[in-house]
Amino acid sequence: MKPAPFSYERPRDLDAALSMLAANSASAKIIAGGQSLGPMLNLRLVQPELIVDISGLAELKRAEVVGNELVLGALVTHADIEDGRTADVTRGAMRGVAANIAYRAVRNRGTIGGSLSHADPAADWISALAALGARVTLRSLAGARTLAVDAFVLGALESALHPGEIVEAIHVPARAASAHWGYAKSCRKTGEFAHAIGAVLINPAAASARVVIGAIDTTPIVVTDAAELFGGRIAADYKQRFDVRVADALLVGAGIDDAAQRHIHVSVLKRAVLEAAA
Amino acid sequence: MTTIALQVNRRAVEFSAEPRTSLADFVRDKLDLTGTHLGCEHGVCGACTVLLDGVPARSCITYAVACEGADVTTIEGLDEDEVTAELRAAFTREHALQCGYCTPGMLVSARDLVLRLPDADERRIRVGLSGNLCRCTGYVGVVRAVQSVIEARRARNIAPQADGGRTSLGPVGSGRATSSPNEPRLVPQALAPASEGAAPAKIPDFTPATVLDQRFTLAHAPAKVFAMFDDIAAIAACLPGVSLTAPPRPERVEGMIRVRLGPIAAAFEGAARIARDPATLSGRIVGIGTDQRSHSATQGEIRYQLVPLEGGAATAVELSIGYTLTGMLAQFGRPGLVRDLARRLIAEFAGNLDRHMSGAPSGQAVELSVWSIASDVLRARLARMFGRVFTGKGGAE
Repeated sequence: MKPAPFSYERPRDLDAALSMLAANSASAKIIAGGQSLGPMLNLRLVQPELIVDISGLAELKRAEVVGNELVLGALVTHADIEDGRTADVTRGAMRGVAANIAYRAVRNRGTIGGSLSHADPAADWISALAALGARVTLRSLAGARTLAVDAFVLGALESALHPGEIVEAIHVPARAASAHWGYAKSCRKTGEFAHAIGAVLINPAAASARVVIGAIDTTPIVVTDAAELFGGRIAADYKQRFDVRVADALLVGAGIDDAAQRHIHVSVLKRAVLEAAA
Repeated sequence: MTTIALQVNRRAVEFSAEPRTSLADFVRDKLDLTGTHLGCEHGVCGACTVLLDGVPARSCITYAVACEGADVTTIEGLDEDEVTAELRAAFTREHALQCGYCTPGMLVSARDLVLRLPDADERRIRVGLSGNLCRCTGYVGVVRAVQSVIEARRARNIAPQADGGRTSLGPVGSGRATSSPNEPRLVPQALAPASEGAAPAKIPDFTPATVLDQRFTLAHAPAKVFAMFDDIAAIAACLPGVSLTAPPRPERVEGMIRVRLGPIAAAFEGAARIARDPATLSGRIVGIGTDQRSHSATQGEIRYQLVPLEGGAATAVELSIGYTLTGMLAQFGRPGLVRDLARRLIAEFAGNLDRHMSGAPSGQAVELSVWSIASDVLRARLARMFGRVFTGKGGAE
């Protein structure tokens, strides 16, 4: 239960970190809070030759509202969001998600950028941020590019990050005053990996919704044109119109063959819809 | 070895330790502060919870080197702490411990709840303590003890500390270290011993721990596909991550398969035996391999059955893939994620096979393509389109 030996470097800034990563891309791993990588290192599932510790980089610890969106540096922790040390443009949505990630001792070190980079399907942010319509900025020595969060996660533990590239910032759009938010998950034990996640951002006034079915062992299902889930239109009565058969069909389409698993996912999604309507 | 300087229990300490040394091992082994307990050593049980910059953190998955300049408080440093003193009295009164192994971590987490959640009811206390496992008490006494301290402090009008007193952003324990002076110096790692004739002579039958069924279709006649499956070198070239280490024979193949799941990478080297039945257009491949780096071994079995489609113009390839892992990698207890990887690899295999049989060059498809399967959005979209063709089915775990 001790990691295999590794070399350790603490770069002075982001450029130095990217240079170290570029020079050792096959054998180096970035560590931030280490709440996902740490267990894998201790179990020797991962044996990198070099650990590049970015946890001290001040340029990744910013949190500011720019225009109509919140820009969070990759090193902002779940507890930072839970406690309100960062501005909240989602009217409590992100605080609620953050407060229920793992355990407080983990939230004090675990980072939003690290969670996204790890791309664990059972993690909260990949589903919650996809529902909120967030984007992620990736940086390498070659420059920066920005992707929608739902395009960033490609599969189990598989993200769009190229070798030598790291998550720099997350851009969260302001939640409209008329938009309802619901988030639910099912864990066998509080704080453990989720077995189902439902996240919905429903704006009856604009007749629009973003619906995410997550923790399905692969890329979450993100429905941006969600009218079909609500009997063809999204209006004030969406709670009554939520159609479990359409949700079930989406899960069948995503390759979830086990009816019991689908039932859990649909039930959790329904809880998220009911929470949004409450 | 690296020199690590930090504050522990209000005392400046400096010791040299390997970068892989956890904060828990650092305080236990260098400072003899053995009140910090290690249970699971992967962040689940909470026994190792200490205060890092004043708030709880897991010292088993936090490396001491990453805490350079930080302020650490272990259970020994809480002797004079007012809240902890109240909690200790309450734990004694309510029988909140039996063997005491979880108690140091439990007290650190309980202290945090008392400070942050002045209105916590039983449910919130239970949720708040869910990251600290106790195998003796059933938690009843622990919850009562914490609740009594919270109520007593509320009665005394003591104001909460909603954020645990933290004002800066980022992981606790970070931010006070100086950066490394130079370019990285890689410590050469002891290489795993070369595989001693990795290919086993005998490949036994086995009962797979995990079985997954996959199916894909090819726009070629079954006989042609079956013949293709006999061309082992060509099939190997289509299999993502597979390379041959010896010229294949019709009934036996030796080679290596590289697999990567997120940060987990393995290269299994071994051999497989092959059986085919032209009458039923089916076959079976049973293999065994070892990954030297992770000291892990796998046994695998692929059964395939070709089913004619569209009056024999096309073929459905039905695969049943079974495997058993032993060693380090077997600790990865997330079969669902492995299934997703298998699905992606088989999609890749089917694509390569189709290109090969249609006469397109498949050379570049080998090995690299798996690793870049996730390389950009365009590929992801293609993968998703492609994915619709497949029906994946997970079997027993």
